[in-house]
Amino acid sequence: MHKDKDAALVKSCQLGDRRAMSQLVSKYERPVFNAAYRILGNMDDAADATQTVFLKVFEHIADYDQKFKFFSWVYRIAINESLNQVKKRRSQKSLDDSQASPWQGPAEKFDTAELCKKVQGALMLLSEDYRTVVVLKHMSGCSYQQISEILQIPEKTVKSRLYSARQMMKKTLLHDDAGFEGARGE
Amino acid sequence: MTTKNQNGQSTVDQRTLYLINRSVDGEITALEQEELDRLLPTSPEVHDLHDSLGKVANLLDEAPEIEPPEYLKGAIERQIRLPVQGHKKTTKPGLWGIEWLNTSWLGTGLALAAGVVLTVGVYQMGSEPISEGDSASMVGTIARRGPDVQAGALLDSVQLDTSRLNGLVELRNKDDLFTLSFKLNTGEPTDVVIDFAGRGLEFDDVTGTRADDYRVAVEDGSIHLAGTGEQQYTVILKRTSGVKNAAPLGVNFLAGNELLLRAKLIIPED
Repeated sequence: MHKDKDAALVKSCQLGDRRAMSQLVSKYERPVFNAAYRILGNMDDAADATQTVFLKVFEHIADYDQKFKFFSWVYRIAINESLNQVKKRRSQKSLDDSQASPWQGPAEKFDTAELCKKVQGALMLLSEDYRTVVVLKHMSGCSYQQISEILQIPEKTVKSRLYSARQMMKKTLLHDDAGFEGARGE
Repeated sequence: MTTKNQNGQSTVDQRTLYLINRSVDGEITALEQEELDRLLPTSPEVHDLHDSLGKVANLLDEAPEIEPPEYLKGAIERQIRLPVQGHKKTTKPGLWGIEWLNTSWLGTGLALAAGVVLTVGVYQMGSEPISEGDSASMVGTIARRGPDVQAGALLDSVQLDTSRLNGLVELRNKDDLFTLSFKLNTGEPTDVVIDFAGRGLEFDDVTGTRADDYRVAVEDGSIHLAGTGEQQYTVILKRTSGVKNAAPLGVNFLAGNELLLRAKLIIPED
């Protein structure tokens, strides 16, 4: 159903239907932006990457092969674009400002903001290969198989990277700040 | 489930690791879960590993979604050009202008100008005067202004220096007018898309003093300019309400649909 709806919208886009394009943008803007943010660690860079992702998607929409899942294709472009930006930014500026949390709100939001910041900080300590699988698994909710399709790597590699990444993140998320773990009621 | 390594430390075997990871990722089968449940009470190492990896996974799963900036969806949609049914893309340099006229966003713009909503219009800059008919289809004023409008306080500027695009963009302000002056040099047909939606601004005018060939189209919230070679023109935006600086004024430079460069110019809040 999910796939059929995407397929129908893509077909309409291929015929020049802007309403269909708008629906696809609405559906995938948030997940693409979030994946980009988690990889890049910066709101502005994530917004730039998201714009570029959709430009690329619709630039090639006429050539899109319906036998592939649309969401896997979009995610693959999103991940590649985000990783490209990481490489570009690495030479342009430090990632110091990337640790800033996008959460600014009242005191009751503190736990959420702290969690967001803590998780993002831990993610940014991982190499891009590890960060990408964690983002796809935990932030985008993809299965091993979907991650394998998106990144075009064997499922075995997905599992291995996930395990290693979470082992590395244990130190940051569970041991650096015992109070944080307690605050989450664990 | 665990073995001792050369240092005498316990390590979890591969099968148990496999089960723990499947469990943490929610991909474990009922049979595998039963197997893991039998293993967990028998080894503190296995139990601890399962527990700690589960906590990490939970924290990652609980990380809140980030809200994309409000301007983003509109900015994306304004830049997307869809294929026109039955139209085959051409990249022949001499025909690029024709291809540009066939792009869907322009087609949409023309349809809107015919009477739907909000489209200002499309016109070609050059020596030919704008006809009354053209003027009637435009919302707002399109009239030539003198060079004095380019004066004003410099708010921001961006130097463009890439292998495919060179030049300078300056944003100035005088009274209610904001001017974006472009000095560009491109080796290929290049589109400039200015996204000003939601900033309390409306399109006012484009003045060109030097261009090999360029065209302008204005849609609701964005201006598209297309040209090649040496180009020099000024886009004038008029304040309609308090200028909001929630998002910078975005200027994208594209060749075909390939994004060459994205510039952001900041308008200070009132």
